Amino acid sequence: MYYYIFDIKKCKKRSVVSDIKNYLSFLGISGEFTYPSSAYSVAELVSLGLSKKYNTIVGIGDDEIANQIAASLYGKSEAMGLIPIEATETLANLIGTRSWKEAADSLRYRRIAEMKIGLIANGGAFLTEVDINAKNPVEVTLEFKDYLLQAKVRDLKISNFNPSIKKISPDHLDISFHSVGLKDRPLFTKLTSMFSNHQDETDFSLFRARSLRVFTSSQIPIFSGGHQIAKTPQLIESSDDYLRLIVGKKSSLS
Amino acid sequence: MENSIDTIIGVNVTLKGNLFNKGSIQVNGSVEGEVKSDENILIGESAVIKGPVIAKKIEISGEVKGLVEANEKLEIQPTGKVYGDVNAKTLIIREGAVFVGKSIMSNTQGENTGEKKEKSLDAVENDEKVEPEITVNEKVDKLGFFSKK
Repeated sequence: MYYYIFDIKKCKKRSVVSDIKNYLSFLGISGEFTYPSSAYSVAELVSLGLSKKYNTIVGIGDDEIANQIAASLYGKSEAMGLIPIEATETLANLIGTRSWKEAADSLRYRRIAEMKIGLIANGGAFLTEVDINAKNPVEVTLEFKDYLLQAKVRDLKISNFNPSIKKISPDHLDISFHSVGLKDRPLFTKLTSMFSNHQDETDFSLFRARSLRVFTSSQIPIFSGGHQIAKTPQLIESSDDYLRLIVGKKSSLS
Repeated sequence: MENSIDTIIGVNVTLKGNLFNKGSIQVNGSVEGEVKSDENILIGESAVIKGPVIAKKIEISGEVKGLVEANEKLEIQPTGKVYGDVNAKTLIIREGAVFVGKSIMSNTQGENTGEKKEKSLDAVENDEKVEPEITVNEKVDKLGFFSKK
């Protein structure tokens, strides 16, 4: 019933691998364990699991493996589970578990939430968010269905799930950033902002859209959970189909 | 403007095109095009909009060049500048505000109860008593206070 795709590189201590396996056996939800390698990618392992009629594909690892499994599994009736190791807090927040043990417990209870995921035109996907976090502010053009906007920005985030942003529709991605443009401000304001940690609230922008294109003056990497998954220019959109994700009691989705 | 904001256009952001939102919109940057919301639109001091602004309630502290249409209330703050016609059920223009255009006051049924042409109006009113004072017509003026004898 359970098909595990284990990214063992994420386990700093080798003993954790056997600890997780033993605990899953103890819970009575042990299954087939597979490991991504140069021979088998995550996508290939997922399709292998589906061909063997497993109804739950579980990723053990960080955001990278979670995103790769989600990309192969959305729109299908099989459920996706996650045991986060070295994952971002946002991903842990999404599934509502703080440790791998809690996540294993939630797998046994099989509480399923349906959610849309973010898709990237290059075939990538993301459960939580992608960010363009260049060292220096970068000039971007964001093209939406009915309008386009231009700004010099920092901390550009395109979120499918972000606990700090109230989602208004499951169909929409939330696009947030801080705009930069000190030259337009009076000298006094420039000096005050340079010597103060206070963030000007008016420089924050937030948009909602089903899809958008991101253009930058030069090619810039797009990250998700610390892993590069694409480069600009890029088309990013919300999926039409849902992913069936197993979540814990404390999940924002449940 | 108590509703939570769904869309925020930050300062130094330039938007070209038409922005339509079911929820509230806050504008602090520049917009060339229509801004429309089923709820409220809050136009900050640094905002410049060239195009129509349409919503239930609108509060203007920045600059708008174009039609402003509020189904319920339009409030132009002391720093607000409106160059264009306005259409609102309730109109409040604070002292220091600039309004160049024509104002049309609509009642709940959408009928016009009066209109006044403004060539240049600087510092019109201080309080929220503007709406009945601008609209004077024959039905209201039964006692003949406003008609010349």
